[in-house]
Amino acid sequence: MSALRADARIALEIARKDAVGELRGRHAIVSTLFFSAVLLLLFGFALGPDSARLAAAAPGLLWLAVVFAGMLAVSRLHLLETDDDALEQLALYPISRRAIYAGKALAGLAVMLLLGLLVLAAVGILFAVDVGAAWLPLVATVVLGAIGIAAVGTFYAGVTVRLRAREVMLPLLMLPVLAPLLLAAVKATAAALAGDPFGDLGAWLQLLVAFDVIMVVAGAATYGYLLED
Amino acid sequence: MPQTTIYVSPRSLGAPDSRPPSVVTTDLARLFAGSPALAGVSLRIEAARTVALLGSNGAGKTTLLRVLSTAIRPSYGRATVDGLDLARDADLVRERVAYLSHATGLYDDLTARENLRFAAAMYRTPEAGGRVARALSDAGLAARADDRVRDYSAGMRKRLALGRILLGQPSLVLLDEPYASLDADGMSLVDHLLTAWRDAGVSVLIASHATDRLAPFLDGRVVLERGLVSAVSGDGVTAEAPSLPGAAPVTEAAR
Repeated sequence: MSALRADARIALEIARKDAVGELRGRHAIVSTLFFSAVLLLLFGFALGPDSARLAAAAPGLLWLAVVFAGMLAVSRLHLLETDDDALEQLALYPISRRAIYAGKALAGLAVMLLLGLLVLAAVGILFAVDVGAAWLPLVATVVLGAIGIAAVGTFYAGVTVRLRAREVMLPLLMLPVLAPLLLAAVKATAAALAGDPFGDLGAWLQLLVAFDVIMVVAGAATYGYLLED
Repeated sequence: MPQTTIYVSPRSLGAPDSRPPSVVTTDLARLFAGSPALAGVSLRIEAARTVALLGSNGAGKTTLLRVLSTAIRPSYGRATVDGLDLARDADLVRERVAYLSHATGLYDDLTARENLRFAAAMYRTPEAGGRVARALSDAGLAARADDRVRDYSAGMRKRLALGRILLGQPSLVLLDEPYASLDADGMSLVDHLLTAWRDAGVSVLIASHATDRLAPFLDGRVVLERGLVSAVSGDGVTAEAPSLPGAAPVTEAAR
């Protein structure tokens, strides 16, 4: 138990360090917010001015924007560690590998939560969807989706961070793994916005919880191997 | 230069002869894309020794330091630090080893103080606030402690990375070209730290071309050539030719 507590303290320190760096450097959040806003606008243009069509497509567009922008965000957070080989130094501290994973994933989660909630609000405004009416299940979906993207993104950002072709490899590796999350999050969002007429919202949220648990456990167990050359 | 406090772990106390050797490698090899950077290094460095790792560019000095720091894994062979196996006990080895590499591993968006506070948290340094302040002072950076590292020169970054080592309790310090990028005061800082570590019973392995400058601090020398130990000299340092057919013998290097 004390080892877990020590790991938690280390993870919080790593996340705090990333948060301070992000607040000062704004490496991840500003660029990804603009990226997701542009993406939503382009989706809107592509679908045309039909408001009913836009509202129907809103859950899918929301999660495509969150997933694409999320990939950029977690990648940027990992790139901070490549400046002056800080990732190697981090790996040389006498700390557990799962604490490093947890710290990086926590920082990614913080960015993903902010991103997810802002994109949700933007979808409400741009596509005339009443997100306020079902705010609780929508926020729960965003939180669960953010956890999954941060967990998967942190692992694959670790896989690709030392590769020259990381910008290409990260989506190639991440997107297939995120497919179940994307499906469950879109279905849960659609169910929440429609008032859960078929009673399947809970099942989709459960799928998201299961996805998150599997990805967090797998990431924490295997991330350490990525730090060794 | 003021007195530097070296925090010594209990494992660095006691007579050097009663402690396990700082470094033992057996046929240690590391390949990069199939080419050997280390080709079978068998080396023994007793506890509490300051040893220079010499050799031309590409001889394998940095690779040996990186393997001993656990930054990279050996392709073949084995190595121990303080009697702990690098492969099996890597977590324990990291508690005993501090490594100053070519890169400083600092975060540009954090200040020098924040960088050291983060390092202190990672080392679980007791009384972190006071020790961070002392490390900044020892590194000659107290006046610029709250500047972001982004604005630091290469020499100041090197000083800060040296200050970071003072936050841990290593029994083996690995230094890769510690004098590079430093001005006269910075070089004196390295000299001062070498003396302080030696007095504290900490082993130091230094890859450097500054042989004249290092000479007064050294207990021994190891010369690497194309990934192999070609010569050794000094007290507490021994090497064997790799157990390969036709391997050249290790000679006694001239002091």
